[in-house]
Amino acid sequence: MDFALLRDAFWMLTFDGLALGAIYALISLGYTLVYGVLRLINFAHSEVFMIGTFGSLFATGLIGVKIEDEPLTDGKMVFTLLFALVIAMLSSAIAAVLVEFVAYRRLRKRGATKLATLISAIGVSISLVELFRIMTDSLPREFPRIMDKTFLVSYAGADIRNDKVIVIVAAGLMMVALDQFISKTRLGKGIRAVSQDENTATLMGVNINRVITVTFFAGGLMAGAAAFFYILVYENTSFKVGFFLGISAFTAAVLGGIGNLRGALFGGFVLGLMETYTSAVFGTAWKAVISFIILVLVLLIKPTGLFGESITQARV
Amino acid sequence: MKKIISLAAAGALVLGVSVSVAPAANAACSGKLKIAYQGPLTGPEAALGINELNGVKFALKKFLAANKGANVDPVVYEVDDQGDPAVAGPIAPKVAAEECVVALVGPAYSGASKVSLPVYLSAGLPIITPSATNPTLGEFGKSIFHRAVLTDDYQGPAAARLIVSKNKKATVFLVNDASDYAVGLQKTVDISLGSRVVGKDVTPNGTTDFSATIAKIKKSKATAVFYSGYFSQAAVFVKQLRDSGSKITFVSGDGTLDNQFVKLARKAAEGVLLTAPAIPFEAASPKLAAEMVKAGWTPGVYTTESYDAANFFFDAIKAGNTDRASINKYVSTKSHKGLSKTLKFDKDGEVAGADVNGFIVKNGKLVLLGAIK
Repeated sequence: MDFALLRDAFWMLTFDGLALGAIYALISLGYTLVYGVLRLINFAHSEVFMIGTFGSLFATGLIGVKIEDEPLTDGKMVFTLLFALVIAMLSSAIAAVLVEFVAYRRLRKRGATKLATLISAIGVSISLVELFRIMTDSLPREFPRIMDKTFLVSYAGADIRNDKVIVIVAAGLMMVALDQFISKTRLGKGIRAVSQDENTATLMGVNINRVITVTFFAGGLMAGAAAFFYILVYENTSFKVGFFLGISAFTAAVLGGIGNLRGALFGGFVLGLMETYTSAVFGTAWKAVISFIILVLVLLIKPTGLFGESITQARV
Repeated sequence: MKKIISLAAAGALVLGVSVSVAPAANAACSGKLKIAYQGPLTGPEAALGINELNGVKFALKKFLAANKGANVDPVVYEVDDQGDPAVAGPIAPKVAAEECVVALVGPAYSGASKVSLPVYLSAGLPIITPSATNPTLGEFGKSIFHRAVLTDDYQGPAAARLIVSKNKKATVFLVNDASDYAVGLQKTVDISLGSRVVGKDVTPNGTTDFSATIAKIKKSKATAVFYSGYFSQAAVFVKQLRDSGSKITFVSGDGTLDNQFVKLARKAAEGVLLTAPAIPFEAASPKLAAEMVKAGWTPGVYTTESYDAANFFFDAIKAGNTDRASINKYVSTKSHKGLSKTLKFDKDGEVAGADVNGFIVKNGKLVLLGAIK
């Protein structure tokens, strides 16, 4: 155990943990949204994220940015960043909607059990992973450096790097936007209504299929944003990238209280920080162990997660 | 429904019988002789298996082109064990029962080898593994076991020598990815370096964020970091290390020796030192490598070794050996001048007179430094 390291490098670790947590938080929103509406863990969500990473790769290729290029500057850099972000978000969102359409909708209409839907979700997840594995020859893909990575300031031993600042700030903005969408707009109200009581919502004239599509779309958008930020910081992806991040994000969602938007947010950041701190103190191999012990302890005391279970509480 | 069940039962019976009566020598092969390749062809480890399978396929293509008149016509029989002992267990008896499979290149991984080799031993099927480096494998395969690379016992000390030769006062931080291979390799490096080791961390395969490990390395004031693991993780790690402003010497083993590593890490890969009992296809023969790429197969780590292994078997077939026993006798006693080294197996099936090579990444290329003395 190395508590001295935690003390000496506390702010550096905190900053790195927040950047990682921001990505977890964005992915976990998708799990939580779908759970809130369908009471289903969408196990294919990790692959929706994976598709987003390939979407950003595709976007930079479309603009003609090459792997060996020097980092871009000025207007071209800003444009490339935004373009890749939008394409990543759209590809993930479309993938999420398609997954729902192909794997869940028919089952739902026929009144299949939750278990059947769950297996269908796992099946879709495996199919997508294998599809991308075959398409990429099982090889990881590198990503061009769009933006030069520089240190903005150094505070108490923490080197604050520009790309991670962008990730933390932009992720925060996305979450505020989603929160506003759910609590203020008509569609958002529809989502909340279905989440509270599906039958009553239908009777009140809410188009349930449309609500579900929007839910998957919104979750996909967030996963796509997470995918782009992941690419921006780590600059690589592979067919299996979704698995590890997906598990972490799912954990974050449960930690915060699955079905609860702000819970997912909070869970993401807490998990990112926790993983980074425990890696420093106990060694990286222990981070998952410690994280899950903390998760179990939290659930023992508060079985619905830190923020409780319902999406409707997101207004608070 | 009943019919399906009885059909399945009959199928199982046939399979079971054919396994139990699998002949020691394949007298009954009617049709083309088959050279099997066994390794991970799907799943997360598939990259390595595909590298090796490509080597075998390319060797076959060259063999067929050079022996148009010869009365032999072998084909490649692909065996996908996903690098996983649990998958390899049930597959091995089926391979052994395939009468036309007369030789096998692989298994690629040590774990899968341990469960497969006893089955091949009882079926008399000769194997040459291009990449399973666990030192104990000979005990499992006995007379049919041959290995075209040096074991982990050689690589670790060589890596330690390489690090010290570059900096007499080197202090080293060790990181491994928790796989069998990585833990074993790190152990031999650790022993060889002794008191030079100033810190350790384990980053399981799939780790995306190395922030904490990097903080530890910086605090340890080590002059070099040895990463024991595979190329995709190594690339992510070295990139984050460089992005954090660290200029520490980065050293890794054969799991990282892959052009993909350079491609993924790009500038961060510059100056990285690597060790391997293997030699990249491009370094062994630039001409053949270009020909291979043109034919549609990308060479990677261990392509050379599996190309050599396959060619040794083709030598045996060309010399008129068409059954398992005679092919086994041929590869056990004769030698083959391959691209990587001359394959000449001792009584334990281990290759003699081979070196561990050192490599450095320079201007985006893997440059062979030569054998590490």
